[in-house]
Amino acid sequence: MIKKIITDAKKAIADAMDLKALDDSRVLYLGKKGELTDLLKGLGKLSKEERPVMGEAINEAKVQIQKLLDGRKSELEDIALTKRLLDEKIDVTLPGRNFEKGSLHPITQTLNHIQDIFTKAGFEIEIGPEIEDDFHNFSALNIPEHHPARAMHDTFYFDSNTVLRTHTSPVQIRTLERQKPPVRVIVPGKVYRNDSDVTHTPMFHQVEGLIVDKEASFSQLKGLLIDFLRAYFEKDDLKVRFRPSYFPFTEPSAEADIECVICGGEGCRVCKKSGWLEVLGCGVVHPNVLTAVNIDPNEFSGLAFGMGVERLAMLRYSVNDLRLFFENDVRFLNQF
Amino acid sequence: MNISTRWIREWVNPDVSDSDLSEKLTMAGLEVDRIAPVAPPFEGLVVGHVVNCDKHPNADKLSLCEIDIGADSNLQIICGAPNVRKDLKVVVATVGSVLPSKLKIKRAKLRGVESNGMLCSESEIGLSESHEGIIELDMASTLGQNIRSVLDLDDHIIELDITPNRGDCFSVLGVAREVCVNYNLSMPSINYKAEQKGTRLFSSKVTNPSECAKYLTRVIEGVDNSVETPKWMAQKLLRASQQLHSPIVDITNYVLLELGQPMHAFDLKTINGGIEVRSALKGETLELLNGQTVSLTEKTLVIADKKSAIAIAGVMGGMKTATLENSSEILLESAFFDQISIAGIARSYGLHTEASLRFERGVDFNITRQAMERATELVLEICGGNASVINECIDPQSLPALEPIEISNDKISRVLGFDLEPSWIESKFKFLEFEFTINSTNSWTIKPPSFRFDIRIPADIIEELARLYGYDKIPVQRLSINANISKSSQAKISSNDLSSSLVNRGYKEVITYSFISNEMHELVDPNSTKILLKNPISDDMAVMRSSLWSGLIQSAKSNIRRGHNNARFFELGQCFTGTLVEDQVQKIAGIVCGNRHDSQWSGSEREVDFFDAKSDVEALLFLSKNEYTFEAAEHPALQMGQTAKIIKGNKVIGWVGALSPKLQKTLSMPNSFLFEINQKEIEQGEISCYEPFSSFQASQRDIAIVVSKQITADQLINSIRSLKQDDLVDINLFDVYEGEHIDEGSKSIALNLTYQSIEVTLTDEQLAEKVSKIVAHLELKFSAKLR
Repeated sequence: MIKKIITDAKKAIADAMDLKALDDSRVLYLGKKGELTDLLKGLGKLSKEERPVMGEAINEAKVQIQKLLDGRKSELEDIALTKRLLDEKIDVTLPGRNFEKGSLHPITQTLNHIQDIFTKAGFEIEIGPEIEDDFHNFSALNIPEHHPARAMHDTFYFDSNTVLRTHTSPVQIRTLERQKPPVRVIVPGKVYRNDSDVTHTPMFHQVEGLIVDKEASFSQLKGLLIDFLRAYFEKDDLKVRFRPSYFPFTEPSAEADIECVICGGEGCRVCKKSGWLEVLGCGVVHPNVLTAVNIDPNEFSGLAFGMGVERLAMLRYSVNDLRLFFENDVRFLNQF
Repeated sequence: MNISTRWIREWVNPDVSDSDLSEKLTMAGLEVDRIAPVAPPFEGLVVGHVVNCDKHPNADKLSLCEIDIGADSNLQIICGAPNVRKDLKVVVATVGSVLPSKLKIKRAKLRGVESNGMLCSESEIGLSESHEGIIELDMASTLGQNIRSVLDLDDHIIELDITPNRGDCFSVLGVAREVCVNYNLSMPSINYKAEQKGTRLFSSKVTNPSECAKYLTRVIEGVDNSVETPKWMAQKLLRASQQLHSPIVDITNYVLLELGQPMHAFDLKTINGGIEVRSALKGETLELLNGQTVSLTEKTLVIADKKSAIAIAGVMGGMKTATLENSSEILLESAFFDQISIAGIARSYGLHTEASLRFERGVDFNITRQAMERATELVLEICGGNASVINECIDPQSLPALEPIEISNDKISRVLGFDLEPSWIESKFKFLEFEFTINSTNSWTIKPPSFRFDIRIPADIIEELARLYGYDKIPVQRLSINANISKSSQAKISSNDLSSSLVNRGYKEVITYSFISNEMHELVDPNSTKILLKNPISDDMAVMRSSLWSGLIQSAKSNIRRGHNNARFFELGQCFTGTLVEDQVQKIAGIVCGNRHDSQWSGSEREVDFFDAKSDVEALLFLSKNEYTFEAAEHPALQMGQTAKIIKGNKVIGWVGALSPKLQKTLSMPNSFLFEINQKEIEQGEISCYEPFSSFQASQRDIAIVVSKQITADQLINSIRSLKQDDLVDINLFDVYEGEHIDEGSKSIALNLTYQSIEVTLTDEQLAEKVSKIVAHLELKFSAKLR
């Protein structure tokens, strides 16, 4: 009898194709009016000896059927889930919704990269006005009127005393007017020269650096700039050389060259076959500059450096035409 | 300055290659921009003599030549040059020789006649572009001699980029000095003395000795200026990029290049009376050697005769007194003009001459007489004639004072960061021709030589020592740590924060020129002060921008023209309403046009509108968490009715709006939306301060009202806020509807009110009462009707 019930239940459960059919089977066999319940109800009619044996058999059957029910239920759930997953399948290669590619200008990215390197070394960032007076742009920087260096600057004028700054160096003066040493700043910004051709744009960017302290030497300047250039180009063994040069506001003055990052120093069009690329100017601040801002050059010394941002960006991103930076063509901007 | 290495080596000849020499100069601070051989490599070319020259039997334009190259037998060579003729000395490329073009000369037959070589033109051996005819060599050239040595072709031209402080290096003498200093060689001494037969003194006086401390003249009579400048001199001049003129002028140029002393030669017969060195007179004019006539300014120092100015001192001579081919009496001038008084003069007349270049940077005041002797010597040698005595006007007081400079080794070490040996320092002083006395151990007093105008303070001496030591050998040190912690506000919104916010919303950053056209200024921001450049590069770049919009519009426009219609650009930059520091304001601005999104597989396309731009502005404003409001306003560049000013406190800090239809038409722009904010006003936020939030349930109530179209969202919300209702924590305007079922001139507004008490859960009755109070208030204030 019980065996038959189990056999029937087994078949019914296996045949149940959904949770509803399965539940029907459960009611049929285990429910309040189910076959096994009926048998349990009939136990009283059995003999004292038969009763426990039969009771145990019924309970075992109950457990067994419950197990079958549970097993089938989980099978059916798996089947349902599999079906749902198939139904809900999407093409994951379709593009994400409403995503627009924004970008920072490569010059800004270069400035950020330069600023990051120097701020980690304890430099603060200063900015200054782009329309400058003669004092800050020239005189205070030891470039008196008629100094030959003025002719090299191709200055934009508003009136005889007011110019578009030709370099970021006037911010050296503004910083020192405001702040007493020790000073350690960098100055990113736009500068202007009245010159426009394939290799010159009338506006470009520089980053100026200034250190004024009791002990600041040319050796330290060299160390700092070598470290900077290696960090900027992310090349630990980048060759850097320093050459004597001339700036009115530094003495001694130097220009720094790096091995050509295009040809690796072999000689190419970019480095004009020399294997070297000029990347920055630097030097020990001229005593006249410190004096102009009432700092005693016998007590403090200064180190200064300046670099052209477009040049560094061109080398970093292999941009071969300076003018691209100011044409703002999205085909260019999209690449950064 | 271009100069041939051969010329330098005639003075001082270090045992290194030309490229090593140029590298050394570069590393010593005389940057060699370029080093180029005077001739490309070739081999096997020799001097030949045209013994015979007949017509080619089968060709009219060819000649059949018999050439003697000093070998056992003469060569038969066919030549097509028009200038080939008997008894010419020529350049012969023999069979087997290789020309710069890599052409290998072979035995050949030309129109049936054998040719055993080739006669060469300048272009064929890479000397110039000229292929007018074959080279005609000096008749004294030795047969069979290698052409490279005959024409001095194993020479390089170096192009020196001389810095403004090193005026002393604008000559062979100066460069040779540098070579000596760098290779520890001794400099040959110079002592020129020309034969002097005449006694004729031409009167000269200097009115402004402070500007002209030395003025030397010399009369040379009986010169022949019609002769040819000798080849050796012409070659040096040409290799120094100097044009050839007459021998007298070439000689003055030669001395300028050789010794660095600008010289001038006047045709004595054209001078009226004695010479006076004086300031130009008011209204005085002068026709210069280059044909230009200038009106002289009173600060210009001139050389004048009794009648008028005949030259601008230290810049250029006059046309009237120039030496010509037939000049027979000349007055040579060698002077020392003061750096400061010459500075800027040439430029003020739009001139830039070899003389002014040198005087502006400083000319050795001890070379004046030597240069005169040297030039005289050359004139006598080349043009003949009789030289008279030198007439000297000298004011010793006006010569530059060579002040002694004190320098200690301690100072040197402090600036350079390492120690130099005193004996090494002193040896370098000697090579640099610095006179020095030893004060005590490791301290010196130095007097610089008269040619070094750049050695005035201790730092100048330190630079000399550093460069001679070699910048590359200077040890590398690190900066000592700067323990100052910089003050910065955590709530400061940086340019990068602002940029990132826009970049994340799909904007591309542009950088445009700070100067714009007058037209753009008038269109975009006509009410702001116009800041004009005095010397703009072009009319398109003549006005300093007061707004970033002109650059953004141009960027959008040029990209749209290329087919990128969905433009979304921003820029950060200074804008100008004056030339004072406070008139220069950093702004952030943007432009959007085209579709809100690029066309996509999902969703529908729609054009951007005001509220897209506004949400981007809000994203920027949100960073600083300050209170900002938008108020309808008018702006010359923006469309009336779709323009808002952005207000913080009671200050206008920016604008957002649609580009006006008028500007759209003028600029051929599509519908565009612009915004601009003064960066300073949004860069300082506040540090957040936590407020406890309620743990009781919040309740939402929606109301829909009909009001006049004139009523703004802000008016409604501010009015509800003004009731200061307890527990009203948020008001959200979630629908605006006009059209069917709503009266003309009205609109329906749906508001969602959120109530939440910090103490209790509000009951339905309490909520209903609060909402009805608001409805009543809106009815009273705006005649609002509940829908």
